[in-house]
Amino acid sequence: MPLETEARAQIRALVAEFRPEHGDLLAAMHSVQHHLGYLSSEAMEVIAEQLGLFPAEVYGAASFYEEFRFTPPAQTNIRWCSGPACRLKNGGGIRDAILATLGLHDIPGDTEDGRAGVILGQCNGACELAPMVWLEQPSTHRIEFVGNLNAARAVRMARALRDGATIEASIEETKRA
Amino acid sequence: MPDAIERYEALRTTADAEYAAWRNPLRPRIDVAIDQSSISNGALKTRAALERVAAERNAAVDFGRVHGYGMQWVHPSVQVTFPDGATVLYGPVREADAAAIVDEATGRWGAAATLRLGTITGKREGVPSIRQHPFFALEPERRLLRNLGLTDPESLNHYLARDGYRASARIFGRHVSEEVVRNTLNDAGLTGRGGANFPAGTKWGFLFGAPGEEHYLVCNADEGDPGAWVNRVVMEGDPHLLLEGMLIGAYGTKSKAGFIYLRDEYPLAIARMEAAIRDAEAAGILGDDIFGTGMPFHLRVIRGAGAYVCGDETGLLASISDERGMPRVKPPFPAARGALNKPSNVNNVETFANVPLIAAHGSEWYREMGTKAQSGTKIFSFSGDIVRTGFMEVPFGASLAKILEACGGIEGGRALHAIQPGGPLGSLVPASALPKLTLEPASFTPYDAMLGGGGIVFASDRNSVLVLAEMFAQFVEEESCGRCTTCHGGNQRKTEIIRRVMDGNGRRDDEPNLMMIDRTIQFSNCAHGQLSPKSMRNVLQHFHAEYEAAMRGEDATLSLKGATRFRVAQPRDARVEEAVAICPVGAFHGSPGARSIDEAECIHCQACTDVAPGAVVREAKPAAPRMVPIG
Ligand SMILES: Cc1cc2nc3c(=O)[nH]c(=O)nc-3n(C[C@H](O)[C@H](O)[C@H](O)COP(=O)(O)O)c2cc1C
Ligand code: SF4
Ligand code: SF4
Ligand code: FES
Repeated sequence: MPLETEARAQIRALVAEFRPEHGDLLAAMHSVQHHLGYLSSEAMEVIAEQLGLFPAEVYGAASFYEEFRFTPPAQTNIRWCSGPACRLKNGGGIRDAILATLGLHDIPGDTEDGRAGVILGQCNGACELAPMVWLEQPSTHRIEFVGNLNAARAVRMARALRDGATIEASIEETKRA
Repeated sequence: MPDAIERYEALRTTADAEYAAWRNPLRPRIDVAIDQSSISNGALKTRAALERVAAERNAAVDFGRVHGYGMQWVHPSVQVTFPDGATVLYGPVREADAAAIVDEATGRWGAAATLRLGTITGKREGVPSIRQHPFFALEPERRLLRNLGLTDPESLNHYLARDGYRASARIFGRHVSEEVVRNTLNDAGLTGRGGANFPAGTKWGFLFGAPGEEHYLVCNADEGDPGAWVNRVVMEGDPHLLLEGMLIGAYGTKSKAGFIYLRDEYPLAIARMEAAIRDAEAAGILGDDIFGTGMPFHLRVIRGAGAYVCGDETGLLASISDERGMPRVKPPFPAARGALNKPSNVNNVETFANVPLIAAHGSEWYREMGTKAQSGTKIFSFSGDIVRTGFMEVPFGASLAKILEACGGIEGGRALHAIQPGGPLGSLVPASALPKLTLEPASFTPYDAMLGGGGIVFASDRNSVLVLAEMFAQFVEEESCGRCTTCHGGNQRKTEIIRRVMDGNGRRDDEPNLMMIDRTIQFSNCAHGQLSPKSMRNVLQHFHAEYEAAMRGEDATLSLKGATRFRVAQPRDARVEEAVAICPVGAFHGSPGARSIDEAECIHCQACTDVAPGAVVREAKPAAPRMVPIG
C-alpha cells in the first residue's frame, strides 16, 4: 500500500462514491480533473484502486479522450472552435495567428510560463457567433465566449493573455476594430 | 392500489394549476431564453441587466426562463408574457436594451417596439405572429419542438401540464402491451435518427427478446458532428420529452436501467437532464415504482470526454463500461453484448423524443408528415455562410432550396458553393444540386452523399471546397481510434495529400493515391473508417475542376495558401503600420512607407488584411513556370 498522503486522501474523497463495474470511470476522472485541474499519476492510481482496475487501464482510458490532461493546466486556456462555420470564416487563420502569438506549434499547447494554453474545441451549436473561441480558467471554472473574431482581434487577445492581462482585459482587446 | 392513470391525474392537478398561473401570470413576466447558444451570445448578462433595472425601478414584473425559439441569429432573446396570456418575443436584447424591455413589460407598450420579433401566443395590435416569420415558412407544425417558448424547460410540471407523460402512464398501467408499443413505432415508420436509419421498434424487439433480467437502455447523446445541435435542442429545450421516450423504451425492451451518454461539450444539457431525472424520480415517474406499478427504471447521465468515435454505439458502450471508447466489429450486436457486457439497445436522442408523440397520437397522425419513404418530422440545424443561423423542425422531404431561402440566403450577396450535410463522415454536395435536394435520405444518394444526423452547413464561394475537405480529413484522422491501420494510417496519408495540394505542391499521382486510400479504408472495422473518405471522394466527384485548378496553383476563391500571397498594395497608406504591428510573425520588412511582406515568413493568417484592407491585399500568386514532380 502506498503511503496515505494528504493529497491521496483528498483524491480518495473525490472518488469515494464510485464503484467497480458500474460505469463510473468517466465520472471519477471528471471529478478529479474538475477539482485538481488534471489527472496526476497518483490520481490514476487512486481511481484504479477505487474501481478495481489497473492504473494502466485508467491511463489507457484517460489518454483516449481529448478532455483529460496529465499535467497542470495553464492559467487561461483558449479553446479554439474547430467546427465548420468557424472554419469558413477564417478559423484556420485565427488558430495559426493565436499559436504564432503564443509561440506554440500545435494544439494542445501551453506557454512556458503557464499563463496561456490553446486547446481543441468542438462546435457546440452557437455557430451564429462564428468564428469563435472560448476563454477558460480551470481554477475558477469560468468560461467566456468570444465570438465574431477575426485574426487581428485574436492576435490582440492572445498578446494580452500572454502578457498577463485578465480575461476581461483580453476580451476588451477583441472589441477594438 | 391506485392505477397508473390515477397517479398521473393526481400529478396533473398541481401541474395544471402551476402552469395556468405561468401562462396567465398575475403580473407580466420576462423570460430570458437560456440555452447554450443564447448564453454564448450573452444571455446571462442580459438577464442580470434586466433584473437590475427591474429592482432599481421596483417594477411589477417577474422573471422566468425559456429555451430559445430557433432564431439563434437574434440571440440573446427574451419573451414577455402578459396577464392576458399573450407572449411576445424580442431579440437581440443586449444589456443596454434592458430598460426598454422592462418598460414595455410594465405598461409602456411601444418602448421596445424595434426589438419585437413576433407573438408566440395571443395577439398584440401591430405585432405579427412569429409563425409568419420567413424563417418558419417550412415548419407547418411543431411536434418535437412543441414546448419551446411555451414552457420552462426546467419544470416537470410544465411538461406534465402540456399532456406530457400521459401516454407513458397509460402504457405502464398495462393498457398497452410491449408488442403493441413496438409495432406502433414501426407502423409510424420511426427509424433511427443517429444516422443508420434502422426501424426503432424492431431494434427494441431484439433487446426485449434478449436473455436475462439485466437489460440496459442507452441513449446516444454524443452528437459529435460539428454543425449539428439537434439533440442539444431536445435536451436543453424539453428534457422530459427524452426521458419519457426512454421510459416507454424501458417498457418496450424490458429494461430496468439505462444511461444517457452525453457529450462533455453540452454542460447545460447535462445539468438539465440530471435535474429532470431527479424531478421525475421524486414524482414517482422514474425510479423504483413507476406510477405506482412496482416497475423500476433507473437512469443515469454519463458525461463523455471529447471522443468522436464514442458516438458509434460500440465505442459508446465500451466507454460506458470503463474501457477505452474504441469501436469494435459487430456482431456481437448491442442486444447480445452491450453496456457492462449486458444486453443493451442504443438509440439517438431524437429517436427517443419521437416516441412519446407517437404513443400519444398514433402512427397515422405521425405519418401525416413527411414522405412515403420517410415519415415524420426532423429537427435540423443550419449554419455556415447564411444570414440566419438556427434550427427548425421540418417534415422529411422539405425542399433544401426553400430552406436556404428561409435562412435568408447566403451572406454578403455571395453565391452558394457547397452544401455540407452529415458532419465529418457526411458529404460535400455542389451548389448545382440544390434545386433537386430535399431533406430526406434518398435525395442525397445520387450524389454519393448522406443526409446524416441533422446538421447542414452552407458554404459560400468565399472558400475553396478543399478548406472543408481538409478540416474533415484532419478531424477523422485525429478521431480515429487507431484499431485499424487502414483507418488510422490511411487518414493520415489523406490529410497529408490534401494539405500538399492546398499548399500548391500537389503531385500527379495524388489523385490515384487518394482513390486507393478510399478503397483501402473500406477494409476497416467500423463506419468511422468506412465513411471517412467520403468528403474527399465527393471533392473528386463533384468539384474536380477546382481540385485540378489547385493542382495548377490556381484558386478563384483566394483561400488556398499555394495559390495566393499577401502583398502591400499601398505602401503609403497609414494603416500599413497597423498591419505591421498586428502581424504575429513579423513578416513585414523594410521601413515605414516602403514595407513589403516576406512570403516565406507569412503564415496567411489574414490579421494584416483585417486591419488594413485594401492597403494590404490577398491576391493570386503570379503564375510562375512550375515543375510538376512525377511521383
Ligand atoms: C464514428 C461514428 C459516430 C457516430 N456518432 C453518433 C452520434 O453522435 N449520435 C448518434 O446518435 N449516433 C451516432 N452514430 C451512430 C450510432 O453508431 C448508432 O447507429 C445510433 O446511435 C443508433 O441510434 P438510432 O438507431 O436511434 O439512430 C455514430 C456512428 C459512427 C460510426
Ligand atoms: S475504422 Fe477507425 S475508428 Fe473504427 S475501429 Fe477502425 S481505427 Fe477505430
Ligand atoms: S497574413 Fe498574417 S502572417 Fe501574413 S503578413 Fe499578414 S499578418 Fe503577417
Ligand atoms: S463551428 Fe464554431 S461554433 Fe459551430
